Amino acid sequence: MANTAYEAFLELGDFHGKERQELLPRWIEAATRLGLTEKDVEYAVNEFIPEMWDLQYLGIRKMIGAMTLEAIDHAHLKEHKANGVKLVYGIIPAILTPYQAVKKAGGDKVFVSFPDMCIMNFLQPLFHKGAPLFELAETSGLTYGCRHCALNKLRIGLRLRDVVPAPHVQWSFGLVCDEATKVDEYINCLYDDEWFAVITRMPHDTMMGEVDDEIPERVAYLANAFRDAYEEVQRVTGVTVKEEHIAGALDDFQRYLMKTDVLIRAVADADPQPLRGSALVNFCHPFSMPFNTGIEHMEDALDTMIEEVKAEVAAGRGIYPKGAPKVGSYFVPYAVPWVDKVFMDNGVATASSLTMIASDKQLIPPSGNDLYQNIAEQWLRMVFGMGCHVEIDTWIEKVNRAKPDALFMGFFDYDRWLGQMHKMGARAVEKATGVPTFYIEADFFDDRDYSREALRTRIESISQVIKMRQAAKANAALRAAAPAVAAPIAGAEGTA
Amino acid sequence: MDDATRELAQLATDRPAVLRDLKAAGKKIVPYIGHFVPEPLLYAAGVEPYLICRGGEPEPPEAVLDDMLRFLNPLARSMAGFHLMGLDPVLPLADLIVASQPECHTQRMAEYLELQGFPVFKVGIPPNWDRAYAGEYYFTELEQLKAKLEELTGKPIADEAVREYIGYFNQINALLRRIDALRKKDAPPLGGYDFIHLNHQSFFVEPQVAIEKLTAIADSLEGAPGKFAAKSPRILLAGHAVAVGDYLMMKGLEDAGAVIVTEMMDEGMQWYRWDTAVEGDPLRNLWRAKYLDKVPVNIFQPAWKVRFEHMKELIADYRVDGVVWYQLMYDEIYDMECTVVTKWLREMKVPLLKLETSYEYSREATGPLNTKIESFVESLRRGR
Repeated sequence: MANTAYEAFLELGDFHGKERQELLPRWIEAATRLGLTEKDVEYAVNEFIPEMWDLQYLGIRKMIGAMTLEAIDHAHLKEHKANGVKLVYGIIPAILTPYQAVKKAGGDKVFVSFPDMCIMNFLQPLFHKGAPLFELAETSGLTYGCRHCALNKLRIGLRLRDVVPAPHVQWSFGLVCDEATKVDEYINCLYDDEWFAVITRMPHDTMMGEVDDEIPERVAYLANAFRDAYEEVQRVTGVTVKEEHIAGALDDFQRYLMKTDVLIRAVADADPQPLRGSALVNFCHPFSMPFNTGIEHMEDALDTMIEEVKAEVAAGRGIYPKGAPKVGSYFVPYAVPWVDKVFMDNGVATASSLTMIASDKQLIPPSGNDLYQNIAEQWLRMVFGMGCHVEIDTWIEKVNRAKPDALFMGFFDYDRWLGQMHKMGARAVEKATGVPTFYIEADFFDDRDYSREALRTRIESISQVIKMRQAAKANAALRAAAPAVAAPIAGAEGTA
Repeated sequence: MDDATRELAQLATDRPAVLRDLKAAGKKIVPYIGHFVPEPLLYAAGVEPYLICRGGEPEPPEAVLDDMLRFLNPLARSMAGFHLMGLDPVLPLADLIVASQPECHTQRMAEYLELQGFPVFKVGIPPNWDRAYAGEYYFTELEQLKAKLEELTGKPIADEAVREYIGYFNQINALLRRIDALRKKDAPPLGGYDFIHLNHQSFFVEPQVAIEKLTAIADSLEGAPGKFAAKSPRILLAGHAVAVGDYLMMKGLEDAGAVIVTEMMDEGMQWYRWDTAVEGDPLRNLWRAKYLDKVPVNIFQPAWKVRFEHMKELIADYRVDGVVWYQLMYDEIYDMECTVVTKWLREMKVPLLKLETSYEYSREATGPLNTKIESFVESLRRGR
């Protein structure tokens, strides 16, 4: 039985008995370092998590447990460093295989991590408690008004609070945004001259009509840039990555990918839908951050979740009403989970996410045997690795496949690359697919500017429009089948 | 203002009309964005270049918001906004737009122009300049630009022609350095407001004309009396860009009694402190001058420590009393560098004022701004 909020939280994460008691002191220590008071934990356990997460599923609880283990480990980075463990950091978005291969090669002698992503994924979706760290970065100079990325603020905040020490090497993929890599320089200049980073960058400069991964020089350049950085990582850490480590990392990736695909399809095809879209994104964390504690815990959660979803589907049960419209997005903003909840409250299911659906191109195996070339091709086939013209085509392909009733874009207003794409691309997708597209100016990680009530009104309107269109479509189908007898479905009046 | 200054200003103003006539006569018009696009190469190709760097008006950045992110900097949004509003006389003439691509604001803006139907050639600039392979990427881009220009005009670009124009631009640099050096005097005959105008105008006339006019202006200024009092607080103006047309804050500073004696701007001013070698492979020389020899631009990495060393040299050489950081709103990387510079300057006990602009210069906006400027200038004056 849990005596404190801390214990109750561990219980919620499916830690029991002796395992829970052993973990408890490290968890309390980690919570304190991350700025969580017992009241914060109590609020999360009793109110926030039950409202935002589908806790009736063991798979969800195990996933919370896996994220907790990883966060606890991160909160002790300083001890790891003091014990001689080499620290290798990275940032999103990145191809994880090389990072995970370093971990496979280095074992306990190396800590491989995207600290900002890990702690963001823990603090915001579970406790809604990222703000103090964002504010710490702001009061120290990363100005609030300029609209910087909350993930970068968190990285700075974690360094300032001395939770995250300087890495031996940070390998930053600066292939999407400008700011993330410059944060390495910022920290180095202002707070910690031991903060050493090797960065991989390539300009976004493909012309209209060009396809990024089909330009051999582009692939070769990126491959060479990856090789250069990776050799530096190995040199600094003293870890030699062999083919077997890379193969092992790739196996993990493929296995996990196939399993998530099973889950995503099962949820997306189900009616009624048994799980929220934000939960699906949370199960995809092993694609966006390396797990220093290993992916076994997440994989166990995923296996459990798949079985539970299958059982729900077989029983015809779900968490949304049967026939609820499904809305797609670029990413469900899982770090601000109340957005998903508001859709849910309005009877609209968040399901497909453009980044989680593989394009036809992504399913084609890489062309060669060279690791770096394969990573480069992988990268250039991802939507954020492309020029806008190809990305729009890829979005259209994905929307045509997933067939959502609507698409909401936005939530990346702080990101000058992704955010601008959402503005330019939304209308083009709507024109090409007929799927209504809505742009919401908001922040994926930080909701301080966007109160629940303000956004609720917006989402309510969007949900109404989606439902009216869905009803109008159903009416039209009925009339086509039996024009003389079909009665209109309520709510369809006045739809476009 | 002397005759040469007036004539140069008029020629720059008339440039769009001249381009319209040249276009009618069969010349290719090539507007370009950013200083990593080498002007000597464009001139040697026989096209008519035109720098896109206009700003300072509130409506254009707003006009693009249906399709562009609010949090792009106002200069990037203005580049497309003037066109959308029908206020850009040159973009509609473009046979090709050449856009350097060092960071996301201009990268997305270039894509937006493509979506608007413009032919755009992008010159990618990898910011990690400490890697040799990154530099070669830019060099390859220059080679491709050369090929593209040859395709556009149907004529090869002779190395000798590129060298000739490199020579002209070196002369422009030398003249700007000569004029700039006058600001080291106790009572300078010109300040930053005038000097930035000269820089802007030099982009909008043919280089031979710029040389002629700048020579006359330099001759005239060298014998001119001081325009500013000897004890005027001396300002270093730093930041991303002072756009063509965006002069209000510079004027405000000098109207308040300060004199802008030097600048550290990445765009909108000639990189006149760094010449390009004439002998040897001209493309390689242009590459070296812009990518390696020059103090790195803000987005390069690592850059800020090197840039600050340069700033310290300027502070010493020009006997600077205070730094004004001119911040374009939502220009996130400059905003970060400003924080870094603020800390380092504080350690040197050099005051810094951050002035942020969205190009919104209504009376309501400029009132508090002027108060801020006047207070800063007054504090510098008292601190002397």
